[in-house]
Amino acid sequence: MEVVDIRPLLAPAISFACSGLVFVYGKNRLWRNFWSLSAAVIKLGVVMSMLPGALRGDVYVYKLVDFTPGIGLGFRADALGMLFALVSSTLWVLTIIYAIGYMEPEHEKSRFFGFFALSLSCTVGIAFAENLLTMFLFYEALTIATYPLVIHEETPEAFRAGRKYLIHTLTGGAFVLIATIVTFQIAGTLTLSKPGILDASMGTQTLTWLFVALIAGFGVKSAIMPLHGWLPEAMVAPTPVSALLHAVAVVKAGSFGILRTIYNVFGIALLKELGLTNWLAWIAAFTIIAASFIALFQDHLKRRLAYSTISQLSYIVLGASMLNPAAATAAIAHIANQAFAKITMFFVAGAIQRTTGKTHIHEFQGIGYRMPWTMGAFTVAALSFIGVPLFAGFVTKWYLALGTLEAGAWPFLIVLIASSLLNAGYWLPIVYMAYFKVPPGTKMHVEEARPTLLIPTLICAAYVILLGTTAQVPLMPFSVARAAVRFVFGM
Amino acid sequence: MVSWPQWLSLVALVPLVGAVTTPAVSRGRSRVAALWALGVMTVTSFAALMLILRVAREGPFSYPFGGWKSPIGIEFRFDEFSASIGIVCLVGWLAVLYSQRYVEHALEEPRIPYYYTLLLLNFTGMIGFAVTGDLFNLFVFMEILSLSSYALVAISGERTAEMAGFKYLIMGAISSLMVLFSIGLLYASTGSLNMADISSRIGDGAVGPIPLAMALAGLTVGFMVKAALFPLHIWLPDAHAIAPSPVSAILSGLVVKTGLIGILRVYQIYYGAKVLDLSSLNTMLVWLGAISIVMGAFFAIFQEDIKMMLAYSTISNIGYIVMGFGLASPYSVIGGSVHIFNHALIKATLFLAAGCLIHKTGYRTLYDLRGVGKAMPLTTAALSVGAISIVGIPPTAGFLCKWYIALGAFEAGQPFFGVALIFGALFIFVYYIRMVNSFYFRQPVHPEFLEVGEAPASMLAPVLILASLCLVMGILGRIPLSFIEPAAHRLLAPLGG
Repeated sequence: MEVVDIRPLLAPAISFACSGLVFVYGKNRLWRNFWSLSAAVIKLGVVMSMLPGALRGDVYVYKLVDFTPGIGLGFRADALGMLFALVSSTLWVLTIIYAIGYMEPEHEKSRFFGFFALSLSCTVGIAFAENLLTMFLFYEALTIATYPLVIHEETPEAFRAGRKYLIHTLTGGAFVLIATIVTFQIAGTLTLSKPGILDASMGTQTLTWLFVALIAGFGVKSAIMPLHGWLPEAMVAPTPVSALLHAVAVVKAGSFGILRTIYNVFGIALLKELGLTNWLAWIAAFTIIAASFIALFQDHLKRRLAYSTISQLSYIVLGASMLNPAAATAAIAHIANQAFAKITMFFVAGAIQRTTGKTHIHEFQGIGYRMPWTMGAFTVAALSFIGVPLFAGFVTKWYLALGTLEAGAWPFLIVLIASSLLNAGYWLPIVYMAYFKVPPGTKMHVEEARPTLLIPTLICAAYVILLGTTAQVPLMPFSVARAAVRFVFGM
Repeated sequence: MVSWPQWLSLVALVPLVGAVTTPAVSRGRSRVAALWALGVMTVTSFAALMLILRVAREGPFSYPFGGWKSPIGIEFRFDEFSASIGIVCLVGWLAVLYSQRYVEHALEEPRIPYYYTLLLLNFTGMIGFAVTGDLFNLFVFMEILSLSSYALVAISGERTAEMAGFKYLIMGAISSLMVLFSIGLLYASTGSLNMADISSRIGDGAVGPIPLAMALAGLTVGFMVKAALFPLHIWLPDAHAIAPSPVSAILSGLVVKTGLIGILRVYQIYYGAKVLDLSSLNTMLVWLGAISIVMGAFFAIFQEDIKMMLAYSTISNIGYIVMGFGLASPYSVIGGSVHIFNHALIKATLFLAAGCLIHKTGYRTLYDLRGVGKAMPLTTAALSVGAISIVGIPPTAGFLCKWYIALGAFEAGQPFFGVALIFGALFIFVYYIRMVNSFYFRQPVHPEFLEVGEAPASMLAPVLILASLCLVMGILGRIPLSFIEPAAHRLLAPLGG
């Protein structure tokens, strides 16, 4: 049932207002932190307040303004959008706390927190976009808003990364725009409120090109190989940016776009008929394996994390292209599962860097004794990625495996198993290094990260376990994913 | 009050009379001249507003001078395309306000009253060009406009300015000659100067195709020079970059559009007559438009001088509009027409903001201006809004036109141009990102200007008003789009579209 409600507009508006306040009053540390934190908490509250309704099957809609005749700027909080909004808003609160601690010695803090809030505004805008044009609008705005964060350090390396980032994402945006125009031309509408707005009568060739354009456009941010080049470079950004944007908000915006393309623009029935998702699944499988291989050889922790992100994001794409409920559940739930585990790892990387100055894995010998809590959190996240039961990653793997079998696509099951092994291959050595390779003759004393860094890390790690153990509890992200799947498959 | 018929004559006469009386009224006092010009523009803007309200309410209307009905008498005719005088008045008014402080710094004192005379003459030319229904008056107003533009480019009296003005003069004179020749040809073969009348007379089939085709070619090429469409753009970058900044804003935002309105008028004559098949002309315009987009962006990338960069960007944007016209589908013509308006807003924002930077810091290259974002945050914010808008990132004014023209390309069955347009826009982004990088993220080369602060209020206010309009017109884009829609459909109706 559709309910007219201002809250889907309010959520991005809060972050937007926050960024304005931070730009204006950001010189003062207290005001800056106050505005950022309170906006994050209020926004989370607004999103949470829509959760019971979304689970009941209510959809909150709000039409803002007719942008051009016929196409409005509209907001709509359905279950799929709710999940993405919920994850990004929850993590915004934690990341703000972390960032307040982490950014202490940095320059240009008001610029940083201002654009940070702006990016989060765009993310929720993407989540709640009612039509493709609104989504495109926020998708492009997200690119612009994150650019100052990527080049925050203002070093030549950062500028290079920023340039690469812009070239990739703006080209992707251009593809999305073209696809949006074509969709409007052939379907006469851009709404994302239906399970598919296109049908086979529109010509196989046009539809194929349209699908390629949409997947290429969103695939850039989702870092599908070979469109992933910007992501490892973008790791020069400060850690909170890498954590929230390059593990959650920006990259998931791309994955979310792919989900919308498959479920709401084309629709399951049409894609089954066209058979376009078969090759998409193969590209995703290739990305999963290839990125994991590259990750094996990265010594810089953040770069290893980046390649792991590339690999994990393709789980979502793989799940979506199986076109069956179990795999779809895995794809949608993985938005949350991957996000919490990956952000935990980024928080750990940042905490280690700020506390000990170490950034490379070979320097981590014995660090488990120096920073026991931090490395404990890391271990939890690592186990989740490997897919050990009781951790978040297991839920995804289980449903994804079910989905591949249901689709009769057993090669992908092998890909999943290989990926688990590879994950073990690049995460466990770090854990081993931290706990079991103490350099002889050194006395280890506990020197934990400061509380603003440690507490968000531990909360995220705890949430990873919570996600893995309470999948059936209502109001947890998994139940929202189930609700989204029910809508998509008309169950 | 809205339908008082005299508004249509007053809208061109008021700035004309204001222009010639400026030196007499001011008697050398620059401040009085500025106030006088501002007053004249206020009255003109009011008249323009009344006309636009009337055309929105009742559609196109005419005013026969001295009560002599057309085709014998002289007629002013106001249709939706004439509503471009609204943007002339808006940007013109703000540029006059802005000029007051800018020129007392940039020009010698005795020249200042004449500067305002020239500005007002320039506005007279543009307004008259847009509202006349008569080909000969079209030429007269075009010449008023062109001559005042040449003088405005050269007004600082510096050698480079005189050279740029001279180059502009040569190109402009050739184009005027071609237009005049074509008008003569049409008059000789139809015996009329009234545009609507010519259209119906050649529609009767009384005139052979050869003179018509020659006149068409002359008019198109002549107006293409005025519009600075590639490859006839070579006069533009120097002229626009070297002129005083408010003049650059007017030249780049408004004056080049006169050529585009001229092209629209040519279309109105020839589409309506249905004697020539214009599809090969359209194909040429679409290609030239596409090449302009790319070439403009390509040259802009290599510019260090900020105003030079903006000047090349104008060439790209003219390419958008011409491509929109050439595609000849309802969406693309609407998009192109509205971009006449939106580009004027955006380019005026950019040039006036760049003028503030140059006025306060004395530097004009990207290298020298590094870090200026800290010294003049509001001006650079306005520049950034303009940059985002001109690239066509939603929800700014530039986006809607891009959307409409690209949609028109798909509608016309020429998807290649839609794709070219969107990727051309990406190319444009490359140099604007260089600008934003240097203003905000690079370490200053001249740290002393970190102390300068913002430009005076009379310069800053126009910049901020225009920048916020860039955003507002993005959100409220449907107002101009639905305003111009009937005109676009009327124009294309003879094509059976």
